[in-house]
Amino acid sequence: MTTDIAVPQDLWEGDTEGVITSWLVNDGAEVAQGDLIAEVMVEKAQYEIEAPLSGKLGIVKEEDEVVEKGSVIATLES
Amino acid sequence: MTALSPGLDRALQRLSVEQGLAAEEARLDAICQGESEFELLAWQPMDRALVMPRRHERNEGFPEARHTLRKLGWPILFRATGGTPVPQCAEVINVTLALRCRVGSSAAHLEWGYHRLGNPWCEWLAALGVSDADLGSAPGAYCDGRFNVRIGGRKLVGTAQRWRRVRGCRDMALLVHGAMQVDGDPAELVGIVNAFQEAVGDPQRFLPGSHVALTQALPGLEVESVLPDLLHRLADREEAA
Repeated sequence: MTTDIAVPQDLWEGDTEGVITSWLVNDGAEVAQGDLIAEVMVEKAQYEIEAPLSGKLGIVKEEDEVVEKGSVIATLES
Repeated sequence: MTALSPGLDRALQRLSVEQGLAAEEARLDAICQGESEFELLAWQPMDRALVMPRRHERNEGFPEARHTLRKLGWPILFRATGGTPVPQCAEVINVTLALRCRVGSSAAHLEWGYHRLGNPWCEWLAALGVSDADLGSAPGAYCDGRFNVRIGGRKLVGTAQRWRRVRGCRDMALLVHGAMQVDGDPAELVGIVNAFQEAVGDPQRFLPGSHVALTQALPGLEVESVLPDLLHRLADREEAA
């Protein structure tokens, strides 16, 4: 089963865009639910993105790409 | 809100930059682990370093820039909050709040977080006799943002944040940090950031006139004697919440 990992809608207020500043795991890596996988920066605020469940990570948005709330940044194969 | 915790440090701690960054991370961890709902830390570097988010390490010219800065006596360290390079040295006092925010409340937003730190800071400056302190951007300043604490439009305090989920629930842990140049000449610190910019091959340069040190606005001020009032203002607002 494939599950999208999206930037949570409640991560920040307003329509401000963010930037993926770091992927903390490699494309194709196995991650566990709750693992910290990426960081998104908005207005000098770093937000941490966790894996919503366990599985094999597929990166969709690369480092330095602009993202909005709800943007799919990766997928998980479980 | 909970009563004051042992993590509420109202005394200024003198730490190496590396220790200070670790102490801030420990405060955020305490919130994430549910051990505390409010932490306050004030620290002043005993040494110096140019501190930046780790993403700068990806710049092609970073290894050479790191070597150049080390030769200048400014090793590079990485921090967990956002923004761009900032000098940390004995002329800077850092104040960090870490607290738990409930998702869906007005407190779970980054603007709230910046005002939570910056508004008491401006009130403290007003009490010291500074009439033109506010929050805003300072064009030409290094690590500029919309929520600097400014005096006369010049950057006194740079602010940044980190947000992390509290373990086992949807609440968020917020770390919001302010770095204030208390004395010395801002041109020296701007010069270090510009040296990094040049070494890393980034054409952007920053302007000394966009920064101000606290003792430029308040000559002769004994900062350490008035700092407890700032920390009380930051903590008392939490106790009243």
